[in-house]
Amino acid sequence: MNDATPRFLEESPDAIAGRLMQKAHNQDGLPEIAVGLMFLFVAGLQWLQVVFHQGSLAYKAANLGLMLLPAPYFGSLWAIKMVRRKFLIARVGYVEFKPVNKKRIWAVIGIAFVVACAMVFAIAAKRLPPASWLLATTGIGGGLLAILSGRLPRFVVGGVLMAVAGIFLCLIRVSLEMGFMILFGAMGLLSLVSGCVVLLLFTRRPAEAGE
Amino acid sequence: MSTKIQRLAEIDRVIHEPARLMIVALLAAVEEADFQYLHQTTGLTKGNLSAHLTKLEEAGYVAIAKSFRGKYPLTICRLTERGKEVLDNYRRVMKAAL
Repeated sequence: MNDATPRFLEESPDAIAGRLMQKAHNQDGLPEIAVGLMFLFVAGLQWLQVVFHQGSLAYKAANLGLMLLPAPYFGSLWAIKMVRRKFLIARVGYVEFKPVNKKRIWAVIGIAFVVACAMVFAIAAKRLPPASWLLATTGIGGGLLAILSGRLPRFVVGGVLMAVAGIFLCLIRVSLEMGFMILFGAMGLLSLVSGCVVLLLFTRRPAEAGE
Repeated sequence: MSTKIQRLAEIDRVIHEPARLMIVALLAAVEEADFQYLHQTTGLTKGNLSAHLTKLEEAGYVAIAKSFRGKYPLTICRLTERGKEVLDNYRRVMKAAL
């Protein structure tokens, strides 16, 4: 048995299952690659809003792209499943998850609520412009989500970096579009590189055929 | 208090074994999973995992369907209703006693 044994005796079955499944979910780097591409897509849209003036076709297209973000998000979930089933199934195995994890959804809603409250409070205090607070809370909220959903050291590092980047952008008072472009661009690149390295290492692991 | 402690003696020994508890806990969190996924996720050796799955199947806690994916054998595992009941009971007894 692996090193999970000693921890296993101290955890509840639910916690063990959650931890092991999360580890398995992130072992091939595909979710990070998807997140990285999504972040770079958002950064690209923000770049359009920085470069082109309000009212231009490119600016409007960027707004439309931001509104349609759920589509590439759900598309990426489908794509990960397909890539795994088609190319990696011999290594990762097959699993059919239960439809909805209500606890996780409530945790995400809770974090979003706390971050939104903190932002409203900060704006009301008028210490910094709203755009700065929005950047800081996006960085901190995104970082927290990365840590909670990843539960692996590399996600903790990524989450901390995102929070620090958000706070830094808040303090240097850049515009909202520029700040989002830098934040999502940097984090997207980091996530993409990290995911590609993990995928490369994963595919180089010797595969054991059969059962 | 002593009666709660005494209930520990009633714990199902099939599920109490750490590796089997790990398999059952994992299967309780998903609809179904294949042998490879369980092997990757639990870190058990294939022989060890196979032996534990056989014990769980014999106890009626896990349903196993065997087929082929191309030329490779495919073993899909799923927790039975009985398995879910036993895991819930195990969880209750352990929580109450410890």
